[in-house]
Amino acid sequence: MIQANGLSKCFGTQTVLKQLSIDLPEGQRVALIGGNGAGKTTLIRILLGQYVPAGELTVFGSNPRQDRMNVLRHIGFVPQNPPPLQMTVRELTRLSMALAPSGTFEEIRRCTLVLGLDWEAHQRKPFFKLSGGMKQKLLIALTLSRKPRLLIMDEPTANLDPAGRLAFLGELARLPETTGMLLSSHRVDELLGLIERVVELDQGQITLDQLVHDRALAGRLLECRVAMVEEYEPLRRVCREWSLCNGVLPGVFSGEIAATDRMRFLSALTPYSHQIRQLHLDLP
Amino acid sequence: MNALTSKPLTFALRLPHSGASPLQAMLHNELHEALRSRWFLVYTVVFGGAVLLLLGLGVTESQVLGFTGISRVLITYLQLCVAVLPIFLLVTTVRAIAGERESGILEYLLALPLTLSSWYWSKLLARFVAVLTPVLGALLLTVAWASLNSISIPWNAVIGIPPLLASLSWCFLGLGMWISCVIRRQEWALGLAFLTWLLLLLFLDVLLIALMLRHQVMEEVIVALTLLNPLQAFRTGVLLLFEPDLSVLGPASYVLLDTLGAVGLQLYAIFYPLLLGSILAVLGLILFRKGDWT
Repeated sequence: MIQANGLSKCFGTQTVLKQLSIDLPEGQRVALIGGNGAGKTTLIRILLGQYVPAGELTVFGSNPRQDRMNVLRHIGFVPQNPPPLQMTVRELTRLSMALAPSGTFEEIRRCTLVLGLDWEAHQRKPFFKLSGGMKQKLLIALTLSRKPRLLIMDEPTANLDPAGRLAFLGELARLPETTGMLLSSHRVDELLGLIERVVELDQGQITLDQLVHDRALAGRLLECRVAMVEEYEPLRRVCREWSLCNGVLPGVFSGEIAATDRMRFLSALTPYSHQIRQLHLDLP
Repeated sequence: MNALTSKPLTFALRLPHSGASPLQAMLHNELHEALRSRWFLVYTVVFGGAVLLLLGLGVTESQVLGFTGISRVLITYLQLCVAVLPIFLLVTTVRAIAGERESGILEYLLALPLTLSSWYWSKLLARFVAVLTPVLGALLLTVAWASLNSISIPWNAVIGIPPLLASLSWCFLGLGMWISCVIRRQEWALGLAFLTWLLLLLFLDVLLIALMLRHQVMEEVIVALTLLNPLQAFRTGVLLLFEPDLSVLGPASYVLLDTLGAVGLQLYAIFYPLLLGSILAVLGLILFRKGDWT
């Protein structure tokens, strides 16, 4: 799907991407993480053909700069900050459908409704007058309705309320398994159920490239034991949610979790780490 | 009633873009954007208001350099166009790309399957239509007012003015797009736009006279400078419509009239700015294509 070899990008004297090489197979779902200025947005813009990088890059077998129409036909993109478009919601929907006719209006309307935006109620409003969350929901709906082969989203949940975020993740989960994703986010925890791989960028270089959904672990269970410093109800609740049982000893929960869910499990425990005395995870 | 179960789809959203090419879809969109923008409103008020003011103040009854009646109004109006139209076009156009780049609009639009040419030319064409509408509207208003008041209308000029206005507008739109493509920052682009406009305006008279009298510059250079200035081309073309001898213009225009003849000079006044604008617009697109877009 994406093959990059020795990709570099400089702006003046500042090098934003340094000799980045990565290979993303078709249909893979990747979380792109990293702090501010790590190079995530630059990488995304290069993939969209908007920047001229040094090095080799193909997206769906084509160079996104030289053959951008062929590449962009298969990509759905949602930017970090919705642009202040003057056009109305209706006009933006029309434009999106005219440029990318694979999506249907019925699908757009359904998706906006699921995300919590009533398209019909807002159709005559200028896009820039919608709230940040509403704009994001519309852009997400327009993008998802196109059924792209690759979704590129830059901080897609940044402006969404909790309900919208949940609905958005649900919509992503509904997509065909063949849909690849490159989701740039600060909050990798909420994407863990969706993604198979985490790529972390720092100062333009890959510092972590890890498969989350390890196929070798598929279908296997991990023995798990959580011992608390003292009885703490929020942590007990998390343990119960993960079907861990309180044994004979007070403040000790044990049970089994799916091996492929281990990162999601650890993310759920992270806020209560100060209350954990001992944590044990093992393959039986 | 739930939105999903309300009116049938065909009634809920008529899609005029269905089956439209990306260029048509973008053109439709850009035209809407231009027509509801603040600059268009100000622009319409300025040009519409200017004509109303000229007619209301009774300029038709005054006489300057032999021009009177509707000719006098049109000449004054077109002099206003020479000064105001180019800077208006430059100021609003040079920010077109830089502004969209800074606001993130470009990042979103250019991530859609839309060719760069469709995006670029739709932007230019939409502005062209938006720019010409109020200017030509003001011209029609003048003609209508003259008809209602039984004032004789110089039809030769009325028919000849629209191509000249279109050519001038296209020229400065092309220049504006070129500046917008070359310079990434809005402030710098605006600065260059002002400088270009000022130079072109000064080379209409002041600098040419200074070059001729004080610096004894060769006649050929003066004529070449006159020929190269699209504002001069427009002004010459306009005055040719009202006064074929060009006795109100300077010596350079005499030389041009002698060399090219009245028809040649009129064709030059229409086609030179058109060509210049097209070349600059194409150059802008080529340069934009080469660099980083967002």
